[in-house]
Amino acid sequence: MNPDGDGRGNGLKRFAFALPLMSGILAAAFILDLMLGSVNIPPDAILTIVAGGQVKVTWMNIFWYWRLPKAITAVFAGGALALSGLLMQTFFRNPLADPYILGISSGASLGVAFVMMSAGICGAGALFASVGLIGDMSISAAAIFGAFAILLLILLISSKIQSNITILILGIMVSYISGALVTILLQFTDETSMHTYALWTFGSFSGVTWAHLPIMAVLLVVGFVLTFCMVKSLNALLLGEQYAESMGMNYHRIRFAIIVTTALMAGVVTAFCGPIGFLGIAVPHFCRACFVTADHRILVPGCILVGAIIALVTDIISNVPGTDIVLPVNAITALFGAPVVIWVIVRGTRFGRGVTT
Amino acid sequence: MSAAPLLRCTNLTIGYRNQKAAIKVVSKDLNLHLKRGELVCLIGPNGSGKSTLIRTLTGIQPPLCGEVFLCNRGIGEFTPSDKAKTLSVVLTSQVQAGYMTAFDIVALGRFPYTNWAGKLTESDKNIVLSALASVGAGDLADRFIHEMSDGERQKVMIARALAQEPDMLVLDEPTAFLDLPHKIETMRILRMVAQKTDKSVLLSTHDLNLAIRCADQLWIIDRSGTMISGTPEDLVLSGVFGSAFEIDGVHFDASRGEFTIPVDKRGTFSLSAQDSIERIWTSYALERIGFVPADGAVPDITVTIQKDGSKPAWTLSHAGEEQTCESIRNLVEIISRTNFQGR
Repeated sequence: MNPDGDGRGNGLKRFAFALPLMSGILAAAFILDLMLGSVNIPPDAILTIVAGGQVKVTWMNIFWYWRLPKAITAVFAGGALALSGLLMQTFFRNPLADPYILGISSGASLGVAFVMMSAGICGAGALFASVGLIGDMSISAAAIFGAFAILLLILLISSKIQSNITILILGIMVSYISGALVTILLQFTDETSMHTYALWTFGSFSGVTWAHLPIMAVLLVVGFVLTFCMVKSLNALLLGEQYAESMGMNYHRIRFAIIVTTALMAGVVTAFCGPIGFLGIAVPHFCRACFVTADHRILVPGCILVGAIIALVTDIISNVPGTDIVLPVNAITALFGAPVVIWVIVRGTRFGRGVTT
Repeated sequence: MSAAPLLRCTNLTIGYRNQKAAIKVVSKDLNLHLKRGELVCLIGPNGSGKSTLIRTLTGIQPPLCGEVFLCNRGIGEFTPSDKAKTLSVVLTSQVQAGYMTAFDIVALGRFPYTNWAGKLTESDKNIVLSALASVGAGDLADRFIHEMSDGERQKVMIARALAQEPDMLVLDEPTAFLDLPHKIETMRILRMVAQKTDKSVLLSTHDLNLAIRCADQLWIIDRSGTMISGTPEDLVLSGVFGSAFEIDGVHFDASRGEFTIPVDKRGTFSLSAQDSIERIWTSYALERIGFVPADGAVPDITVTIQKDGSKPAWTLSHAGEEQTCESIRNLVEIISRTNFQGR
């Protein structure tokens, strides 16, 4: 909380040390993600491509139309998920809060399921099957629409309600309701659409094309900037809403900003990559334990970096280098990420152990 | 009477107005004032409206009638930031924040003064450190809040309120979770804050004995919501204090300034000894087991304390028999074994 001097500000000092290290790891993970996959591209070929030279056409195509947009997507999506998880954990002062706790991803799922069902009924299922890639624009639009609808609902409710615990419970209830509706909708869709839906829920960074990438990146950067502007109030919220208000913070404005920013980031990521779980809940804990601080001026950039790194590593693993197998991103985040987080949290530091918000 | 009060309210009515416009009045016709350098204890039974009053005085809740003035300005006219620079609070609820040092917590008190990112300037840091030092928590600065004891945490929260540099501090039951020495220490710190820095301190508490001893003014709300204010000593002498709190069987001893525990009377005693600490504690022990001073009448028992050198000895005379005891425990045991005819 206090930069330099007085023997305090350990968190910030640690971070000043960790920042170049983290950036290095991020760069390494980014390059590895470009190299590894079903076809491994050697580093010198990558360099040649970047320098504008000529290598095998398949490598060129894989690099430009597949690997690069995928890696960039992973960086933005990972950072955004971690950041919206941090926002929710601070806002609800609950270590179990994640980006989707407001029901955003459930809304997105509902939107996607709805589009699929109507497509099925109109006999346009074949259309979906043919272009039915994850990240297809109609799926993204449906997801954004669903997420936006839930956001409006939550904002409407929260304007009438004081307690944020009530908002938390309402968010969870809304998730259940959308989940139920999704199940009912899926009951009436054909098998192809159901499969497409299932693929979407697995999560993937590879569905975003160059056409969509700028939209996603701009929206997420807006989310990052908004979060950076809120660091002071987020720190005040660590003491609880009443203390924060007594220090002159406008709680209603901040609450609105937090909900909208989280919904923006979580909604956009869900729309383009599917409901990717785990990252949002785990990275903030990992960052708190690593940097031994609750200061959001450290945690916000920290979460973006660590979230991006973990998303890249997850992407590398899920594309199982050297094989044609592609595993669901959602499975990999949890399967490989959970033990790491358990280790960080249970190992404990001299500053105590356990999950704290 | 010279300086204008920092906080005042005239004919204030506090209470709740719910959505159906039904009004629940908690207390009315409140005329209160609080000067700089003064420490006021707000006391009253649970449910009497202490919290409602605090919420109204700090502008969190609007009054039903009347107005609260802070620094001659209506509390409702303050912007949130101006109010934060004039008034800071310590809440009852404990702060559960992991990975935050005492310095971090106290630094949050600079919220109304720092820029958008909350960056601390050199003077902000000095204010934080001196706030910590002034509550005797200078050595806690680098410790994490989640590994502190309740007493240490309370000091840090008071330091946070001080770092806000307010004219007035409002504390909601600051002594609630603390053991007796820490309760007293907290009160000492608050008294010192009030006197040295010329701030007003308003705190609610259930520790009546402590409130009588520490407060410059007591604000008492009784069960019916009636507010009585005054200097503690005046309130004790007029009997107001006792009658506001006495319940069946519990009696306020005005001469000692504390509530006494009721015991069945077993007899009377007379104590012959020099004025000494042994005399006081011997009479406490005798009262505890049901004996009252004979006050000139013929006592059931007589206790004499002799002090040869440093070690006192007690002699018990009862019905012509004399027994010597070397401790109060011994004395009490012998008395308890004895059957008193009059009981």
